[in-house]
Parts: sequence; C-alpha cells; structure tokens
Amino acid sequence: MLAALGARAMVDVTNAGRFGRFVWGAIVASIRSSTRPGTYPLVWTQMLIIGVRSVPVIMITGAFVGMSLAVQAYDQLAGIGLEEHLGVLINISVVKELGPVLAAVMLAGRVGGALTAELGTMNVTEQIDAVRSMGTDPVRYLVAPRVLACLLLTPFLIIYADLMGVVGGAVVSFSQLGINSTAYWSFSASGVELWDVAVGVVKGFFFGASIAVISCYKGFTCREGAHGVGLACTEAFVLSFISILALDFALAVIFKGIYNTFWPFKSLIA
Amino acid sequence: MQSRDGEAVLSVKNLTKRFGSKLVLDNISLTIEKGKTTVVIGPSGCGKTVLIKHLIVLLRPNSGEVYFKDRRIDNLREDELNGIRTHYGFLFQGGALFDSLSVAENIIFPIRQHYTISSWKEVEELVKAKLAMVGLDGYQNYYPANLSGGQRKRVALARAIAMNPEIILYDEPTTGLDPIRSDVINELILKLQRELKVTTIVVTHDMTSAYKIANRIIMLHNGKIAADGDADHIRNHPHPVVQQFINGQVGDDDLAVLRMSGTISQAQFLPRDFE
Ligand SMILES: Nc1ncnc2c1ncn2[C@@H]1O[C@H](COP(=O)(O)OP(=O)(O)OP(=O)(O)O)[C@@H](O)[C@H]1O
Ligand SMILES: [Mg+2]
Repeated sequence: MLAALGARAMVDVTNAGRFGRFVWGAIVASIRSSTRPGTYPLVWTQMLIIGVRSVPVIMITGAFVGMSLAVQAYDQLAGIGLEEHLGVLINISVVKELGPVLAAVMLAGRVGGALTAELGTMNVTEQIDAVRSMGTDPVRYLVAPRVLACLLLTPFLIIYADLMGVVGGAVVSFSQLGINSTAYWSFSASGVELWDVAVGVVKGFFFGASIAVISCYKGFTCREGAHGVGLACTEAFVLSFISILALDFALAVIFKGIYNTFWPFKSLIA
Repeated sequence: MQSRDGEAVLSVKNLTKRFGSKLVLDNISLTIEKGKTTVVIGPSGCGKTVLIKHLIVLLRPNSGEVYFKDRRIDNLREDELNGIRTHYGFLFQGGALFDSLSVAENIIFPIRQHYTISSWKEVEELVKAKLAMVGLDGYQNYYPANLSGGQRKRVALARAIAMNPEIILYDEPTTGLDPIRSDVINELILKLQRELKVTTIVVTHDMTSAYKIANRIIMLHNGKIAADGDADHIRNHPHPVVQQFINGQVGDDDLAVLRMSGTISQAQFLPRDFE
C-alpha cells in the first residue's frame, strides 16, 4: 500500500519534472524562433489554422455572454433604480473577466483539442521521432510555431469576444429592457477604462501560451493508439481549463496590485 | 567468422534495454564496420527495431554505451545529438511520413532543416532523382494518405537517403512490397553501398534480400545475439533456432498450440453466429 503510494508519487514527480522541462524548452524555442525569420511561415500557417477559423465561435461566445449578463443583472439594478448603470456592469464584466476567460476556454476546446490530437497522432505514428531522426528539434519545429501563434492570436480573439459582448449586451438592453442608450453609453464610458480592456487583452497572452504548451505537451506524451490520443485530448482540455482559471485569478491579483499602487479606488456606481 | 579489421563507425557495448520489467535487449555488444552492410534478422518482437533505434539514440539504453566514430553518444543531450543525426538516414518500419506534407515536401524536409536553399530548381531535381530511385517519380504532389502502403514505404526510403547520409538504417525496407519492387530496393541498397560507401544496417524478415545484400548477418533471439557472420555462416549455422528461422519452419511449441486449439468451427465465426 505504502509502496504503491510511493511509486505513484514518484510517477507524479517525474511527470511534473518532465512537464517543467518541456515548458522551459518550449519557451526557449519560442523566443529563439521569434528572432528567426525562417520560422515565420510556420507560425503564419498555424495562425491561419488557429485564428481565422476560431473567429466565428469566439464572436458567438462573446455575444451570448453580453446578452445573458444584461438579462440577469437588470432586475437587481432596476430594483434600486440604477438600471442606467447596467452598461458599466456588463461591459466591465465582459472586458475584464468573462470575455477573456470564456474566449480562452473556447480556444482550449477548439484549438487545444486539435493541437493535442494532431501532435498525438504524429507521436504514435512516429512522425515526431522522424523529426528527431533527421536532426531537427521537434520542440522547435512543432511546438514553437504553435505556441507563438496561440500567444499572438488569443489577445486578438479576446478583442473580438469583448466587442461582441459589448454589442450583445447593448442590443438586449436597448431592445428588450428599454434602457436609454445615451445614458447607457455615457455611464459605460466613464466606468470602463482603457486599463480594464488592457487587462483582459494582456491575459490573452498568458492564456494562449498556456493552452498551446499544455496541449502540445499532452500530444507529445500521448500513449499509443486511438484511445491514447483521445485520453490525451481530454486531459489537455481539463488541464488547460484549470490553468486558465488559475492564471486568471493570479493575474487578477497582480493587476489589481499594480492598479492600486498607481490609482486610488474608484466606485463604479457613485 | 567476420574479419574485424575494418574501421568501426558504430558500436554498442553491453547494451541493455528494458521496458518496464520486460527485458528486450540483454547485454548486447556489437561493432559495425564502415562501408559494410549488416543485416539484422530475428523473430517478430525480438527487439530489432529497438536495437537500431539505439544506434541513432532515438531510444536510450538502461545501461551500456553507444559509440559513433569513437564518440560516446548515448549520454548526449538532444541538441548535441541533432548534429550527429545528420550523418544518418533512418527508415522507420511504419514509414513515419509527415502526413500534412506532400511527398516532395517530405523529401525536402531534412534538406530544408539543415541548409538554406538557394536554388529551388536544384532541389526539385534532387527530389525527382530520389523519387526515381524508388520508382515514384511523378508522385511529388501526392499526400501520404493517397499512397499505398508500399508506396509510402518507398517515399520514406527516398526521404531517408535525401541528404546522402554516411549511415543508413533501414527498418524492413522490403516488407509490403511486391517481389520485383523488393529486388529493386535491394539493388538500390547495394548501389548506395558501392557508389557512396555508405554503412548500411538493414532489419529484415526477408531472407532472400538478406542473403543478397548482406556482408554480415546478425540474428537476435531472446535479447541476445544468437548468430553473427556472413551469409554462409548463417546458412550452415548449427543452432536449431537459427535453422528454423532462416528456413521458415514452425517450431514444435507453436505447432502444439495450433493443434490444441481444436476444430475449425471453434476458431472461426460463421454467418449463423450473427443471426
Ligand atoms: N515503446 C515501447 N514500450 C514498451 N515496450 C516496447 C516499446 N517498444 C518496443 N517494446 C517491446 O519491445 C519488444 C521488441 O520490439 P521491437 O519493435 O524491437 O520488435 P521487432 O523485433 O522490431 O519486431 P518486428 O519484426 O515485428 O518489427 C516488443 O516485445 C515490444 O513489446
Ligand atoms: Mg520492428
């Protein structure tokens, strides 16, 4: 029993070590690649695959988030006669939290799953070994372009999600809830700062990089067979999801600290 | 026995490899001479693929050493190995073509990774020449998914020799090919050895091919080298395991299992089983 636990712990520690080494390798390779124009075409291809085809789902995600927020928050605010502040609430929530996080989760499912499946299949069909056998570092050739592409694209996709969230929230507020649009926008404009939008977008770099690194790692270490690839995809998604939420929390704390040292607290409803 | 006077390009010393508790290679020592063709034979699952993957350090030994031209390589880091691996060509048993790249791109891959290409025309010529060697000129723009198993194997072979490596490791180059095509591959292997003095290691089950190309044949059995010598040495080897293998005879144990498994109806599904 104890021996089994010990063995299990050993495996976990070994895996954590392997993951750490992989992350480090991926970071180094990505930085190196970003200075070598030779790898730009690879990054570009990945950006097309990852980015362009994700735009519609990301926009739909954003729009629904904004719309639901409007419906949910309206009653409480109307109860205290502050329904014209609805815009602040919706837009702050969308650009700071829900837009980035939900867009990232969407990408973890859409892009992360595809990355893991692709690299996992390459792994079990020995294509990754083939890359190694020809004297090329598979992390540099396969992982770095994907990490760079995710890193660069996620912030843009988050902007799309934000935009659609703002539009969705506004549409529901005006057409369904009958809020005066001038008041809605003017409260929003005074409540939502560039800082808030920037925080959300900057999170995107971290989310994108972590999705790509985790998915690639799961693909690289995937076990034999169709079952192995399926399992790796599931694990990659779960791990990406958790890391998105954890990063989101950590970044919220960090950004709040930064903000508070430069600007005093400001109430949104005053 | 084999004369040992040639220059050693590759050698392994006391190589042991385990997967979990399964011992696959048991304390193997071996020296491969420059410019010679060594054929590795042995029953399926005996560790031939594992052995040649160690020669290029795609797998690392549990204990023992691997040397490339007197330099120990089994303990090098991956980035140090990458330079050494450019001296090798490796044909994977399953081909391992990149399925997102076309045939031509697959063959260009190693070149592109190690050289800056100045003249695409030259590269195209080279791809054409390599494909012609394996009888597939004209298939440049096909994707691996649209090729037959044997065609894929041959494209993989063309990719393995694209950089004119000094050492080529072939894992079952003729498996899945028709007899004529197999012989073309044999001739190709001989030609590369003759003209470019490449050191060749071939894993195969095909004894015709083995006799034709080998300067030396090594038989693996139960993780050890059961026989080692030229074709005649192997043909006249006294060990019954070797004789059974090269003559393709079923061993008594295997036959006993077949006899035990009863009548045909028990081993086969009949249509009525599904009704
Ligand atoms: N990655 C691995 N993990 C676990 N066991 C492995 C692995 N690779 C190989 N083995 C085991 O090592 C043994 C030898 O495998 P290997 O692929 O070298 O056989 P082989 O001699 O090439 O057989 P074949 O002629 O069928 O290709 C097999 O029993 C296999 O189960
Ligand atoms: Mg094999």
